[in-house]
Amino acid sequence: MQDTIRSQIQRSKVLGRREIARGLVVLKFQNSFVAEKAAPGQFVNVLPKIDFSDPFLRRPFSVYNTSGDSAEIIIQDHGRGTAILAATGIGEHLDILGPLGNPWKYNETTFETAILVIGGAGVASMPLLAKQLEKDNKLYAVYYGARNKSLFADEYLRKIEYSTDDGSKGFHGSVIENVRKDLNVGKYSKPKIFVCGPTGMMRSAILLANEFRIPCEVSLETEMACGIGICQGCPVETSIGEAESTGRKFHLVCTQGPSFAKEQIVL
Amino acid sequence: MREINMGVSIGGVEFQNPILVASGTYGYGSEAKDYCDISGLGGIVTKSVSWKPRPGNYPRRIVETASGMLNSIGLANVGVHAFVDEKLPYLENFNTKIIANIAASSTEEYCNVLRHIEENASKNLVGYEINVSCPNVKDGGLSFGTNVARVEELTKALRPLTKKLLIIKLTPNVTSVAPFAAACEASGADAISLINTVLGMSVDIHTRMPRISTVTGGLSGPAIKPIALAKVYEARKACTIPIIGIGGITSASDVMEFLIVGASLVQIGTANFINPNIGNQIFSELRNLLIDKGIVNIQDVVATLKVADQMKALGW
Repeated sequence: MQDTIRSQIQRSKVLGRREIARGLVVLKFQNSFVAEKAAPGQFVNVLPKIDFSDPFLRRPFSVYNTSGDSAEIIIQDHGRGTAILAATGIGEHLDILGPLGNPWKYNETTFETAILVIGGAGVASMPLLAKQLEKDNKLYAVYYGARNKSLFADEYLRKIEYSTDDGSKGFHGSVIENVRKDLNVGKYSKPKIFVCGPTGMMRSAILLANEFRIPCEVSLETEMACGIGICQGCPVETSIGEAESTGRKFHLVCTQGPSFAKEQIVL
Repeated sequence: MREINMGVSIGGVEFQNPILVASGTYGYGSEAKDYCDISGLGGIVTKSVSWKPRPGNYPRRIVETASGMLNSIGLANVGVHAFVDEKLPYLENFNTKIIANIAASSTEEYCNVLRHIEENASKNLVGYEINVSCPNVKDGGLSFGTNVARVEELTKALRPLTKKLLIIKLTPNVTSVAPFAAACEASGADAISLINTVLGMSVDIHTRMPRISTVTGGLSGPAIKPIALAKVYEARKACTIPIIGIGGITSASDVMEFLIVGASLVQIGTANFINPNIGNQIFSELRNLLIDKGIVNIQDVVATLKVADQMKALGW
């Protein structure tokens, strides 16, 4: 029975805390279950407080890195809950549910080169993916865009093509235009885009993939309560599905995502 | 140590303890099984089921608010046929009581759904909770729950269709819940459950848009516990059938408050989203609380609120 359990709730001691870019804090915590089981693209659901006091819902975070019996998440200050979490001190405990969701589909044979396209804090799910691709001897490239050079959380990534909105680092313009430039010259054989970032940027990535007729997988971030498919609070509209009287159908980001092939969803 | 009797009987059905999980906060059981010993619960009230599958509302469906959350799921569910064929059989694996929650937009639909479940009933299914109180759908839901005559008519229509428990789930979104409680009893309901969510709203001041797609949503969580207690207390004075208390429970002392004001059973709702095993944890905590207080029978706690004599004299 034990090996069928894919996720669990564990009180996890915070082992490290560091600011890796402006507004981005990494928490490292002891959790052998997550460290062992988390696959690239999965997430954990973390309680800001452990006593049901306000704010009391869990917050989802991609598993940023794993090593030994510890794992890491990146926290971007979005409001009360993330502010509390970002201020968690070394030695304190976090209540962590995970790992949750489905991994990136990185072991398909339909592509030869993985193109990791990152916008801002969307970096969180990418280091584990890059690590896995290296382990599998797959070709990959990384395109990372941000508003300016102070926002890159690039410590675990190599071979990065940077772009910034203000031109302070790398290509001056959007990350999507930077990718387009290289696709235009046929730089990659049988590429597949793996993208995570702001919604507008992911929409542009889908359009780009459509234009070049290449596969594209997007990792979504939504507000979420339970993270395990109970609350039905994290839907994304699907573009496929059986006929429905109301003409709408949804996937749940928590249990059916967080990553989806571009054909599966309407962003 | 003396044996503590945690069992509660309502309408001839024995619940092993008074802690149930509320509709919409536990799916159909299978989602929570990795985190919870389902057989430890007093019962499971399943996600609302309607005649046809419902996709639910467009996002955004949830937003956290002060000590609570607003939701507007829109009764997303698999429909009664899949419920009976796929979901109920799974729940047979556990030693707990199952109550099917039904949502519909007409008396006829409520009856059809109940009839279909009744015809295919499983052994653990002990009753029905009738959702006349969902604030997040345009058709049905609150339009029933805020009208005494319609609640009465619906209860009378459903009563002859089953010998199992018939529980009407009431809304707090009325001036007074007392006439609804009385009408349910007079029309043959075995029990009432309350409260469903409180109508609420949250606005993004930058975009000036509502934070929930349907503009308003249903507020749940610790924020609504005081409202729930007041409504249960009001209902307790208005009827004699058992009451199932719901609203913001996260601890054994919360359960005790509901029992004291008059609930025989309780349902845990939003807290399941944070910890799907909270029901079992509260059970252990409650048992210890009773031992500490020298109470041997949980039913001795029900409706034991002590109001000061001079306040009673003033009509409180």
